[in-house]
Amino acid sequence: MTSQSDTVADRIETARAEIAPTTALAIFGFGAAITFTLLVLQEPLAHESLHNFRHAAGIVCH
Amino acid sequence: MFFAYFKRGLLAGGVAGIAYGLFMATVANPLVGYLEHAQHGHSHAPEGGTVVAESTTALVSVGGGLLWALFLGGCFGIALYFLEPALPGRGAAKGFVLAASGFLTISVTPWLVLPPFAPGAEQALSTDIRFALYGGLVVLGGAIAATSVLAYNRIEPQSRGLAAVAGATPVVATVVVLPLVSPTLVTHPELSADLVVAYRAMVVLSQGSIWLLIAATFGWLQRRNLLESTTTKSPQPTS
Repeated sequence: MTSQSDTVADRIETARAEIAPTTALAIFGFGAAITFTLLVLQEPLAHESLHNFRHAAGIVCH
Repeated sequence: MFFAYFKRGLLAGGVAGIAYGLFMATVANPLVGYLEHAQHGHSHAPEGGTVVAESTTALVSVGGGLLWALFLGGCFGIALYFLEPALPGRGAAKGFVLAASGFLTISVTPWLVLPPFAPGAEQALSTDIRFALYGGLVVLGGAIAATSVLAYNRIEPQSRGLAAVAGATPVVATVVVLPLVSPTLVTHPELSADLVVAYRAMVVLSQGSIWLLIAATFGWLQRRNLLESTTTKSPQPTS
């Protein structure tokens, strides 16, 4: 399984066979939820709580 | 195979997240708190009153740091699975190239126009515009990283040194030109310039360290996995 000679297209092909659409959706949804909570959410309570983190991580949406 | 990469990415993100969480708790939290108090009680809350207790902010920020690294690790694993064949280098080196590309895309390029800011900074633009600008700069960063990798791959068969120069050119050009052409959008009227520089260096180095740690841990896990699979296969020699 060293797979040094395959291409990006091969990887996409394999992934398509391997991952169920619902799983892909779940992974994507989870990622989107984290992004939204950490970076974009402006609701005062969440915003104030994550305040130090956003400053320290150099996040601008703030 | 996809899930092996994804799981390894999350594990690597977890390792980086623990380190970054510790950094948040011991360095970033106290520093941000200090800077806030040093500038007569800067707060985002209306009327100067804080909505949440400081200990809550500290705890949530540590958790946010952990989640952030975990998220980056997961994205790293997924991206590495798909892009591994196209990345230059061999073995773990591919991971480091991807980590550098990720850092360039989502952090460095946006920071060239919208640098990291300490509490109490004065912004020239509103949050919504900054968010859109940040998004645009992430796209630009991704394009630059892709250009670099493609340039390297194209020239690599002829000369490795020349390919490295060609790959580095777009990145260096961006880092030099972009801050020169962009206006100053963030100012710190109440902080000394030295302190702002130190603060920015801390942010850049800590974010860079997350990526480095993710790539290093991922490479280590991959090597260990490869070693395990070869040792379990060795009792029955093929051919």
